[in-house]
Amino acid sequence: MVGFFRQILTDLGNLLRPPRYFAWQTVIYMSLFSWLMSMLARAVFATPFTIGLLATISWICLAIGVGWALETNKIRPFGISIAPWVSGAILCLFLFGSWGGRWLQPALVAWPLMSFAMVAIPTLVSWDLSRKSPSPVVRQQLALLFCLSLLFSSWFQFYFRIQSWVRDYPSLVADSVDNSAFVYRIPGQAIALPAGVNHLTVAEAMLQEQVNGKPWPSVERWLLNEEGQRQALQRQVQAEMGQHPSLEDALWRLDLQPLTNGLGYTLKLWAIWTGPAATQGGYYLEKTCQLMPVNQNVITQTEDTGAPPGYTTTQWASLTCNLETPRQAGNPRAMYGSS
Amino acid sequence: MPITNLLSELGIMPLRAIVFQSLLLMVAIVLEAMVLRQQLRLGYRPSMQYAATLNLLATSLGWMAFLAIEAMLPLPLRSQIISYVLFNRFYANSWREMLPVAVVLAAIAAFFATYWIKLQGLTWLLKLLGQAPAEAPPIPLEKDRSQIYDRARRGQIAALPGMGPQGPSPRALAVLQANAASFTAILVVLLVVNQVGVLGW
Repeated sequence: MVGFFRQILTDLGNLLRPPRYFAWQTVIYMSLFSWLMSMLARAVFATPFTIGLLATISWICLAIGVGWALETNKIRPFGISIAPWVSGAILCLFLFGSWGGRWLQPALVAWPLMSFAMVAIPTLVSWDLSRKSPSPVVRQQLALLFCLSLLFSSWFQFYFRIQSWVRDYPSLVADSVDNSAFVYRIPGQAIALPAGVNHLTVAEAMLQEQVNGKPWPSVERWLLNEEGQRQALQRQVQAEMGQHPSLEDALWRLDLQPLTNGLGYTLKLWAIWTGPAATQGGYYLEKTCQLMPVNQNVITQTEDTGAPPGYTTTQWASLTCNLETPRQAGNPRAMYGSS
Repeated sequence: MPITNLLSELGIMPLRAIVFQSLLLMVAIVLEAMVLRQQLRLGYRPSMQYAATLNLLATSLGWMAFLAIEAMLPLPLRSQIISYVLFNRFYANSWREMLPVAVVLAAIAAFFATYWIKLQGLTWLLKLLGQAPAEAPPIPLEKDRSQIYDRARRGQIAALPGMGPQGPSPRALAVLQANAASFTAILVVLLVVNQVGVLGW
């Protein structure tokens, strides 16, 4: 047991002790030393320049040391040398990680180019900072590698461009991307509801305010001006949504269609998506509301006993809306005729 | 589940574009290497390396051009591009009628832009590798003209402006043929894939 531990200790000692001065362990120790010095500088309130310089040296030494260690220890998964990628990642973390905010985007875009630099600099610059001139074979490899890293960087940029599209048009996520020749969504993600649901909720609240609990005759008069109400509703919802403006608001169209239903009406509220969609003809969200006349004798009785006869039989409007907003393919106007 | 959170954080990824582009790039590189090898009498290895370098350069510059132009386009056209990328179809808006023409024009522009980039890239690459043949010194105009007349008298092809004394350089012709071959192959592959619906789209 003791022998086993001793063996581990000797192995660890061999790993940590550099075999010669010119080894990766030296660089890692330089990085550690530099980092400790920067902590010390911070503790004794040195100038920010000193702290920054020491931290920078520490990060650069760490990147070089880790890359060197991976290279000398022949850590090559699938035969690919990952040392420059790891060093490049460390340098990108250092360069962009301190930015805060959306630092991941520039870091990932710069990562392949930084890795290329980690490969290219040792072949182009010698230790005494004079320019080396590599052989044509190496130059050809470097040119190929540069173009490849440029392509990787472009792919990262394309990924972030797609994310910015989704930020601008959040409802795009609610659609299926199975037909796409470009993008893939790993299954099992929670898919957000399209923003049209919010539009419908706002519209419902406005309808409640305007017709619910109003006298039935005035509600029927209100419905006569169907086109006017439709436009008013569209304006109001746009104004309400304008507090959190999004590029896609212009692509949602709100529509309203009353249909007679016995004594009352069925109101269909539609949020029609006129933007990019996975299916031909797009889709719309439908909210169904029932507008019914009800006798509310209670109100009249408590209000006034000497009310004129017939007032007690006055009917009041009651609006109840379904909670669900089923998604339908196509355009509702094609089915119900144009208004 | 942290892994699910990470995945939903990643959102929509251009994985299909990456896979598809890698395959098309391989087809293009192999085809162009064959053309370059025959036309320029190169070895197997250098022709592959040249073709790979040129195609990767043209592709990444193309991506940059696309990303830059896309950001500057008017909103309706941008949303058509979004529609094509995400849903593989255009949708009905004010640009719908003009799109087929625009796509064909963009493809033709892409062909010539790619050709120019590849030709320039090959020149740079040969210079970088120290294999650039000494540029023919510009011949003084008078002498040049007399040479043209001379050659014309002897029944040889007259040199056109912008070309070397021996007509278009073999390099320019080879790159043009290589570019045409790879564009044709890619177009055929895309048409077949769209018709047959391979890979589920």
